Amino acid sequence: MMETKLLTEHYDKDEYIGLDGYKKHGGYEVLKKALKMDPKAIIEEVKASGLRGRGGAGFPTGVKWGFLPDNGEPRYLLCNADEGEPGTFKDRAMMERAPHQLIEGMIISAFAVKSNKSYIYVRGEYQMCIRKLEKAIREAYDGGFLGKNILGSGFDHDMDVYSGAGAYICGEETGMISSLEGKKGQPKLKPPFPAVQGYLAKPTIVNNVETLAAVGPIIRDGAAAYRKHGTEKSAGTKLFSVSGNVKKPGVYEVPLGYPLIDLINVECGGLEPGRKLKAVIPGGSSAPVLTAEEAMKATMDYECLQGMGSMLGSGAVIVIDDTNCMVDMLKVIMHFYHHESCGQCTPCREGTGWLHKIVNSIVTGEGRLQDIDLMLRVSRQMMGKTICALSDAAAMPAISFVEKFRDEFEFYVREGRSKVKGSLHA
Amino acid sequence: MPKVKVNGKEIEVKEGTLLIEAFKQAKEDIAHYCWHPGLSTAGVCRLCMVEIEGNPRLQIACNTVVTEGMSACNNSDKIKETVKWGLDFHLINHPLDCPICDQAGECGLQDQYMKFGKYTPEMSEHKVKKHKVVSLGERVVLDSERCILCSRCVRFTSEVSKTNELGIFNRGDRAEIGTFDGKPLDNNYSMNTVDICPVGALTSKDFRFRQRVWYLKNGTSICTGCSTGCNIKAYYNEEGLFRIKPEPNPDVNVYWMCDKGREIYKHINLDARLTEARSGQAGNWQVRESAECLKEAGDAIRQAVKDVGPTRVAMVLTGQHSQEEYQELVNFYLGDLACREIYHWINNPEQMEEFDGILYRGDRNPNTKGLLGILAKEKVNAPWKQLEDRLNQDSVDVLVVAGPEDPSVFPDLMEKLHLFGKAKKLLWLSSTKSEIVDQVTTPTWQIPLKTFFEKDGTFVNFQGKKQEFKRIATIVPKAMGLTDVTKVLSGRGEGASQGDKSDLDWKKTNFFVQQRGPL
Ligand SMILES: Cc1cc2nc3c(=O)[nH]c(=O)nc-3n(C[C@H](O)[C@H](O)[C@H](O)COP(=O)(O)O)c2cc1C
Ligand code: SF4
Ligand code: SF4
Ligand code: SF4
Ligand code: FES
Repeated sequence: MMETKLLTEHYDKDEYIGLDGYKKHGGYEVLKKALKMDPKAIIEEVKASGLRGRGGAGFPTGVKWGFLPDNGEPRYLLCNADEGEPGTFKDRAMMERAPHQLIEGMIISAFAVKSNKSYIYVRGEYQMCIRKLEKAIREAYDGGFLGKNILGSGFDHDMDVYSGAGAYICGEETGMISSLEGKKGQPKLKPPFPAVQGYLAKPTIVNNVETLAAVGPIIRDGAAAYRKHGTEKSAGTKLFSVSGNVKKPGVYEVPLGYPLIDLINVECGGLEPGRKLKAVIPGGSSAPVLTAEEAMKATMDYECLQGMGSMLGSGAVIVIDDTNCMVDMLKVIMHFYHHESCGQCTPCREGTGWLHKIVNSIVTGEGRLQDIDLMLRVSRQMMGKTICALSDAAAMPAISFVEKFRDEFEFYVREGRSKVKGSLHA
Repeated sequence: MPKVKVNGKEIEVKEGTLLIEAFKQAKEDIAHYCWHPGLSTAGVCRLCMVEIEGNPRLQIACNTVVTEGMSACNNSDKIKETVKWGLDFHLINHPLDCPICDQAGECGLQDQYMKFGKYTPEMSEHKVKKHKVVSLGERVVLDSERCILCSRCVRFTSEVSKTNELGIFNRGDRAEIGTFDGKPLDNNYSMNTVDICPVGALTSKDFRFRQRVWYLKNGTSICTGCSTGCNIKAYYNEEGLFRIKPEPNPDVNVYWMCDKGREIYKHINLDARLTEARSGQAGNWQVRESAECLKEAGDAIRQAVKDVGPTRVAMVLTGQHSQEEYQELVNFYLGDLACREIYHWINNPEQMEEFDGILYRGDRNPNTKGLLGILAKEKVNAPWKQLEDRLNQDSVDVLVVAGPEDPSVFPDLMEKLHLFGKAKKLLWLSSTKSEIVDQVTTPTWQIPLKTFFEKDGTFVNFQGKKQEFKRIATIVPKAMGLTDVTKVLSGRGEGASQGDKSDLDWKKTNFFVQQRGPL
């Protein structure tokens, strides 16, 4: 099978970045259509399309929009472009290659949820994205697509770009809201949920870049057309950022339900010669790892991966071949979560550090056999106990790495070096 | 009023009650660090986990409002395991330096470990190193390694004192409490952070290393620092008083008190006290028995009234004493002597109406309102000017002054004594010794009084709220209450002071404590 390009169709054309080129390829035509619709009808269409959040949790987007209270308060639309999950770089591609596509999707979404102000929260490292978005927003104002009385519809909307400073936790929606409010970027206690009390304590919708961009094609072609792609529970197409040991890493758009092995072998050209597939992380570093056998059977949709005990997450596929040591790799992952925990919740603050130190001890040859089970017990106690899901995000890889590749951990403890030939500490 | 089941017990709670409060109401143990009834919910320690019927995920009780028919428990194996681990997460990086920690004996980590923990620790990695002995301000020291980042202190400075000196800096297990540049924790409520810190991370410079808390007894009373009348607990032992902490009272001080109020123990302790009666004047004082002095004074008063009439004697009252005492003295003057020369000494007239918006009031007396009430009831309204005139005209034979318990709130002490010294004889009733008083040149009797710590009584605070207090212990055995003083003055009895034994043990006085300089 080949890629199905609903969102990425024009990524290869440089002219698509600017307003003129974007318009040449049908840009802002959907907005014109949307502004003539009833906002409620747009929400219904998005509900009917089955679009689920592309930021990680996969929550149905139309349903989330329906949570906004009808209390006459100003509402905010926030685009989550923090893209912090290790392995993920699909939003970056969207912002660099098709900034207007995101902006158009956002204006339509804002019109649907009746918001007059939106922010795009971009991670600080993405300087190029920030520049391109800022330029595109200026062009959109000049073209009459932003500002007062957009295209004569009576709808006003302002949009701004806000730069984070590269903290993973600012990708968590309430952490992002804190940061946007000028506070230390750390998640807020829920309830209240952002839809009820979000940015500046006003009703707020937070959606991922890809989610908001997908609203364009849904409104253009209708929910039914969108549903033709993907599966019953996972409608539409999805951008996957594939990295690791494949010949052609990159961003690929395929319909949900696409076989993982095809993504690796067809889209990404397979592994280097002589290498064997060992494992795949299918949805960013927090998604439980799949063994090669599981990966052969997996399809890239919410339900299949969940059924295998993992998740689609942000769609960051990390391919691991037989030259990689799972212990070394887990150490890198644990370092990340230890470094990024905001530190509010005790199980996360202390647990992420503890896990990192244990796996580090194993790698430096100071590990004890009982540490392997200890990692499992610590991780399990970090799950489902905290304000945000970062704690779970750290625990899930630890559990899956240890459970599925226990022999590598035991070898490391016993021999003080990696079991894997060709790896760093073999 | 919603009904809720906690651990199977059905109780009725007020609308809007949090589940954690329902557990407390039902007297069911619930582990927690970050929640405090006087602060907003942070939900970060994750110890107050409960299972709520119909909800597959564990919830924190401190962020769950009770709804009708809710059923929650924290006695399941799952929760017990969670709490045990929750405590371990708090402890893995804790220095466990209880032997040298001031909080030992009243530490949340110790208490909750004994109640809910009792496991074998498994952490064998190096602990995180953080800053120790950080001076946050004039009165508070931080040990970051002991801090469990419950954020109570931060919430206190943002929500109660509204001074915002504290913040949490850095993230993850490197996070530490700190002050913002150039903004030390020096507000008048800073010591409340020490009270609410569940561990030994925040300690009081005034108290630390002076006593192990298990050597202290305590008793509740009323703060005499100002007219708010915060409810307090005074901690003491045979070496004296060591600290004052607030006692919750929703109508008066909620959970807090000010830092100034915590100083009041200092003028109750022995070294500040007038311990024996004496008579004489500047340069020539003789130690005497109180009763003897008071008899002389009483005779002099009655003689003056008999010889030249009731306007030849006068009495000055401060807002420092109890209702019961004022009533006795006033009865003696109005009844026995038919004298209406009763004056109110306002020690800080310019400040009287000040208020900091939280608790601390400009009227630095515990019972001004009570005194004014009694004077009004008895229709005594002699203007201060009249006393000044009489003294300046040499027409006062005996002046009785029920003076300061805390001289530090009497900035006008010297000036007033200069005036009082114009009486032919002065009866000075006070619990504190004073070099200023020792300089009076008129013949004077100085009688040691009891402090609020040593007597029963009632104060009326600025709101008009009557608050009773009870004797906690005796520090100066020879000190008398004003009720007994009046008995002797009026010739109706002996006064009960002599029998009281001191609760201090002189031999135990700790040399180190006395020698220790400021931190
Ligand atoms: C620790 C953490 C980090 C996250 N980082 C991101 C991120 O970088 N980008 C993102 O879109 N969502 C991220 N999320 C998910 C968001 O909280 C939120 O669910 C999402 O932005 C909602 O948008 P969606 O419904 O369109 O997916 C993160 C969640 C957690 C718990
Ligand atoms: S789970 Fe971790 S990252 Fe999330 S709020 Fe709690 S401490 Fe912060
Ligand atoms: S210093 Fe004390 S009160 Fe403040 S966060 Fe740390 S443990 Fe909590
Ligand atoms: S506010 Fe007044 S009564 Fe309360 S502690 Fe301070 S001085 Fe004492
Ligand atoms: S008391 Fe509920 S989370 Fe700390």
